[in-house]
Amino acid sequence: MHPASVREDTIVQQIDIAAPAAKIFAALTDPRELLAWWAAEGRFRATHVDTDPRPGGLWRMHVVSERAISPAVTIVHGVYRVVEPPHLLIYSWIREEDDRTETLVRWDLEESRGITTVRITHSGLVTEHLRNRNNGWPLVITLLKAFVEQPA
Amino acid sequence: MVTNSSRQRNAVFRAISDPTRRQILGILRGGHQTVGSIASNFRMSRPAISKHLRLLHAAGLVDTQKQGAASVCSLRAAPLRHVDDWLNDYHAFWSDSLQSLKRHMEKK
Repeated sequence: MHPASVREDTIVQQIDIAAPAAKIFAALTDPRELLAWWAAEGRFRATHVDTDPRPGGLWRMHVVSERAISPAVTIVHGVYRVVEPPHLLIYSWIREEDDRTETLVRWDLEESRGITTVRITHSGLVTEHLRNRNNGWPLVITLLKAFVEQPA
Repeated sequence: MVTNSSRQRNAVFRAISDPTRRQILGILRGGHQTVGSIASNFRMSRPAISKHLRLLHAAGLVDTQKQGAASVCSLRAAPLRHVDDWLNDYHAFWSDSLQSLKRHMEKK
């Protein structure tokens, strides 16, 4: 696992997987495959997945949080924007509970000698939430940094 | 509890989504100020500024105290933690998801 990085409103994470890019691409788009892997023990799991992996096609996923006292279902959905197997997949990501804020998820798959580097980029996390991007955002980041970095 | 925290978070995001309110936060960063002196930085009416201040207050970002006839406002940055938490939740989510994808692909 490579270290994660944040650029204010974007999360980038990547991982090397010993499998062909085409198989991984299928795991990212086939509902049965998605149901089989999209979970983390004791934290969350996908319980329902619909996909239509072509530009303009819709996708929808129900995720159950297993950390909550009573399991809470989160509905996440969006539209496929770019579907280029086996290297690139981009779709919008809208989590119902977050004011239906539209964010963007991008998967890059790069295969070399049997190892595929999978990179996920989730962008628009804060700026899209704020909608109004024209000014003042750097100030908020400055305030936030000053707060987060201050001694407890 | 979850709903309450998500309501607070939404209040913070809503509060900082407006340029005037961000400007007010910027002004208060320099130290506490009366409502009147905050309003003097803007062309809009004082009631309009008071309305923005109420929203910032509701989100917990601004503290207001009466000093004689004047209301003195000061900045409270702590609720901005919600913005940070929001990003951290997604960090954990993607990290877990990638690990799970790797396990799934490599067990075959």
